[in-house]
Amino acid sequence: MTHRFFKDKGTNMNGIWKIILLGAVLAILILFALGLNNDPRNIPSPLVNRPATNFTAPALDGGPPVSLEFYRGKWVLVNFWGSWCISCISEHPYLLELANKAKMRKDFVIIGVDFRDTPEAAKAFLARHGNPGYKQAMDPEQKIAIDWGVYGAPESYLVDPMGTIRMKHTGPLFPGWFEMRALPLMEGGER
Amino acid sequence: MWIEIAHFSTLIALVLSIVLLTAPLIGVFWQRPVWVRIGRQASFIICALLTLACAGLIISFLKHDFSVKYVAEHASLKLPIFYLATAMWGGHEGSLLLWAWMLSLFVAIAAWKHWSTHSVSMPWVLSILGGVLLGFLLLVVFLSSPFDRLINPPFDGRDLNPLLQDPGMVFHPPFLYLGYVGFAIPYAFAMAALITSQSDNEWILATRRWTLFSWAMLTIGIVFGAYWAYYELGWGGYWAWDPVENASFMPWLTGLAFLHSVMVQERRRMFKTWNLFLIITTFALSLLGTFLVRSGVLSSVHAFATDPGRGVYILVFMAVLLLLSFGLLTMKSDQLKETPQLESPLSKEFSFLINNLFLVAGACTVLLGTLYPLAVETLSTAKVSVGAPYYNKVFIPIMLGMLLLMGAGPIIPWQRTTLARLRREFLLPIALGAIGIITALLLGVTHPFGVASVGLILFVTSTHLQDLIRNTKARMDKESLGPLVGFIQLIQRNKRRYGGMLVHLGTLTMVAGFVGSGLFQEERNLFLSLGDTLRIGSWSLTLQSVDKTARRNWKADEAVFKAENNGKTILLKPQKRTYSKSDQPTTEAAIHSAWNEDLYVVMGDAVKEGVWSFRIYRTPLVSWVWTGTGIMIVGVFWAMMQGRRLQRKPV
Repeated sequence: MTHRFFKDKGTNMNGIWKIILLGAVLAILILFALGLNNDPRNIPSPLVNRPATNFTAPALDGGPPVSLEFYRGKWVLVNFWGSWCISCISEHPYLLELANKAKMRKDFVIIGVDFRDTPEAAKAFLARHGNPGYKQAMDPEQKIAIDWGVYGAPESYLVDPMGTIRMKHTGPLFPGWFEMRALPLMEGGER
Repeated sequence: MWIEIAHFSTLIALVLSIVLLTAPLIGVFWQRPVWVRIGRQASFIICALLTLACAGLIISFLKHDFSVKYVAEHASLKLPIFYLATAMWGGHEGSLLLWAWMLSLFVAIAAWKHWSTHSVSMPWVLSILGGVLLGFLLLVVFLSSPFDRLINPPFDGRDLNPLLQDPGMVFHPPFLYLGYVGFAIPYAFAMAALITSQSDNEWILATRRWTLFSWAMLTIGIVFGAYWAYYELGWGGYWAWDPVENASFMPWLTGLAFLHSVMVQERRRMFKTWNLFLIITTFALSLLGTFLVRSGVLSSVHAFATDPGRGVYILVFMAVLLLLSFGLLTMKSDQLKETPQLESPLSKEFSFLINNLFLVAGACTVLLGTLYPLAVETLSTAKVSVGAPYYNKVFIPIMLGMLLLMGAGPIIPWQRTTLARLRREFLLPIALGAIGIITALLLGVTHPFGVASVGLILFVTSTHLQDLIRNTKARMDKESLGPLVGFIQLIQRNKRRYGGMLVHLGTLTMVAGFVGSGLFQEERNLFLSLGDTLRIGSWSLTLQSVDKTARRNWKADEAVFKAENNGKTILLKPQKRTYSKSDQPTTEAAIHSAWNEDLYVVMGDAVKEGVWSFRIYRTPLVSWVWTGTGIMIVGVFWAMMQGRRLQRKPV
């Protein structure tokens, strides 16, 4: 018996299929055209707008332990770095400049987190490239870095006075970053 | 010096590709065959020129000419000679040149082989391929030239990305490109057939070997990539559904659908429009693959070759090509006459139709999974990733359906059959499949996909062996031969059929590998100090020592494990390497590979003095994946050895 169903269907394209085919091709092309503007490096952190995990860690300069909570009430820039990280060298001059800015402001401090590193190597790095003078927490076993979801170095997080992470910056901070990225948030208040 | 020769020959090749695009068209429109002939000669010269260009670039590498920017960026004085010679495709610019060279080679071969047999479509084939070649050469010459010089040449180069210094990665791109580029030839023949309204079997017969070859190369390329990921990336797996892996997998799926559905057109004059659609889609997906890797529109582990500026160009190129091809297909498809119709759902045609629907649905799920993150990121600010859970849920069931058809398809005859006959044919295979399922359940396989796979593997194997035995017997009886001679005669006289069946058996071997490695992998993450022992499977591993070691362009911490299993003792030496020109350490997994399981040790960081972290995997049946691929490739080449279907002897 011959099945009517197959007879009628044939395989010549009819109108609907043509529209679907061309529509799909166009849609994919348009998607790619729009997608070219995406920055593949921009990976949003799920921790943004969540309370920052507190840490208390030994200080690089041998002083009292560094604790994030201690700075509650101020905006804190937490900068993850290591003496092994090449990009941290290019970021360093701006950190020196930013440290001066922080000294002038009452509402903004910087904490460095030196991870996967030894105190000797970190001290040598600061001696060679300049010591910005802010507190440096030691994180040799990457406990803080893992808690904060750090992918690589350098990475920086901006924590608001309530202790909430408000922004993550992957890669070196660039000159003018504070005015362009941090100040608008800080002046926008605490949500 | 050499680089100028290379640059100059590429420029001439660019000009000649304009000739290749236009001359055959002039020949067609003004009825001047000599112009078509000019196009043909141009294709030969382009091939020679691009060969020279590739040679020039490779020689610049071998001579450590760091005044060439591309060489300085992808090689160093200490790079071993094997990687030096192959660093040519270690970066974006050189890869594109390699692409263009392979295309020119294929165009020349096509122009030479099909010249006299396909004189009507030849001008169009040449012109279309000239257009594709022109598109790529424009990109090579103007947007990503590997021939640029540096004004202040460095003393030493920046070295090849350490991850690429691995044999798997040396062979992965060329084979992948051979596959991608190879599909250009059937594509051009298909378009020519559409344009000249001669969509009969001519183009299918002409391109069968091209398609088989390209598909085989794509298979090898994909598996080399998986092999590289397994040996070099140190995460114990070989396939991550990464967007770029998907990009090479999609043309593989549609190409496979095409390989099956052309048989229907050849035998029964059906599926004409569908075949054109499939080959255009396959080539379009090949271009898409190149676009995805080269533009940075999707981020992935392959991010070392991204560049949005060139992305715009490739996008425009792809838009022109896609809209022209699919536009032409929709306009012209009504003229194709489908004479016979499907007569019965109990026929080979129908099983091929379902096979095609499965494969295309599979390709669509992969396409959706690949594009969905891009769509979300483009249309909102969120970023999502689609990973293994999606593909395992959606893609694997489709492929299990494929396996079922793979068992049934070869046995069902063309046109129609009866239920009674089918019952007879499938009784034994179904029984064996059922036994397989029960055995799997008794052995403790709990995952439904695992159980189904085991049953299906036995089912398909038995239908194939049953067919083989029956036909060997028939031949033995007919010509009174011994079993061995009968068998050899059988597979020699039906290379296409038995090559195809061998590919099926290779696939089954791979599926067994997927089941074993996907469902039964054992993983341990632990901290060990010297002398510590652990057990994994039937193995017992002892950390004996951790030492420093070094080669020309890297130094490493190397751990030595003594692994014992039933009186057999081996040493495993995983490394954590630092290449002198890179600050990122890479892992070198130590792998003991056997027919039944792989033992895989990855060294992590030193946690504190004398304690290191390690990841250890025991993965059953991984080697079956590689072996299965080998069987598939042998099968494809066996099928390729038979040209056109032999004329049946008149009775």
